[in-house]
Amino acid sequence: MSLPKTTPSSIQVTELLKRGWLSKNTFEIELTRPAQFDFAPGQRIRFIHQGSQRDYSLISGPDNETLSLCIRYVERGAFSPILAAARIGSQFHFSGPHGYFLFQPSKRPAIFVSTGTGIAPFCAMARSGITGFTLLHGVRSADELYYAAVFRATAKLYVACLSGASKPAAGGFQGWVTDYLAKHLPPGSYDFYLCGRTEMIRDVTLLIDDRFQGSLVYTEIFY
Amino acid sequence: MKIYTGSGDRGMTSLFSGERVKKSYERVEAYGDVDELNSVLGALATALPAPISGITDEIQRIQSELFHVGAWLATTPDSPSLAVIKKISAQNIEYVESAIDRMQAELPPLQDFILPGGHPSSALAHIARTVCRRAERHVSVLRLEYSAGEVRKQFETVLSFLNRLSDYLFVLARYCNRIQGLKDIVWRR
Repeated sequence: MSLPKTTPSSIQVTELLKRGWLSKNTFEIELTRPAQFDFAPGQRIRFIHQGSQRDYSLISGPDNETLSLCIRYVERGAFSPILAAARIGSQFHFSGPHGYFLFQPSKRPAIFVSTGTGIAPFCAMARSGITGFTLLHGVRSADELYYAAVFRATAKLYVACLSGASKPAAGGFQGWVTDYLAKHLPPGSYDFYLCGRTEMIRDVTLLIDDRFQGSLVYTEIFY
Repeated sequence: MKIYTGSGDRGMTSLFSGERVKKSYERVEAYGDVDELNSVLGALATALPAPISGITDEIQRIQSELFHVGAWLATTPDSPSLAVIKKISAQNIEYVESAIDRMQAELPPLQDFILPGGHPSSALAHIARTVCRRAERHVSVLRLEYSAGEVRKQFETVLSFLNRLSDYLFVLARYCNRIQGLKDIVWRR
């Protein structure tokens, strides 16, 4: 996977087209895509607004006409409240694309592991034609299983890992993503792609050192 | 915002190409030296005497290239991740050579061994030079694994770049003293 030709430092202007809430604390926005703005699935854009900057991974594929993002609402956050309240048609500045969290084809099975809105880069990958992967999505409750239909159509195995009280549907798993990996993924060499909270990245990486030696690990931390 | 994960607490680290390796691995030593060199160059840029503060731009350009060198060293040669990394070229070496020639033209010929020291910027340039030499030694060990091909060629380019960079830092150390009106400190046996 090579990087796109768009210069990451160039500042682009975009316009808010649509917003919809996916759960009580997460929403999706759709933005206009500037002419000649190119990116690879897994990359981020960086909003620049009144002195603050915030990165979000794109969930849309490079072939889509618009840009889409999945955003967790943080009440005292620097940027998500602005995006949550902005009028449709509002303009924003961003730079990008940023990041190197790209799918690297190999003979080893690909294991995507995410928590919460860390699902975003995998959504862009699935929408750009990447298939046959195993995806673990760790959330508290079933209403946070964003884009499940996309992954059911593209993944070889899609496992919803619910850590809260609600019981998972058929094919799901009750517990953390690390519990699933420790109990159900056979020892061997894999290509792991981890995106989510620092705690998950740490726990899964240490588990890989113990149980899946010889694997590759690519990480993207969501703060 | 946490910048730490703790996934390296047990002495392992991840290469850019995804492999988990021991922190004592020679590839980690090599890009760690390049990282250290970059840090010392940053300190040197802040200590440059006012008359030559324009050299800051030159040093920052070299620092940016060292980022590419570090990323390349942190990537195993058969990895697809290599496709996203910029490689050092002959042009980067020529850039350093031309900076050496420019400063050298203003310096008196060197007839003795000199001691590192003098102006703080000169002392820092000597520290950077020695770290650069250590990076060069570690990279030359890595190169032994590759006897031919594109990877071997890139190792040779990186080694030439580091070799020339250490020469640059030696000349810059003398130049910093010269600009401040300080003479070379000659080694007395």
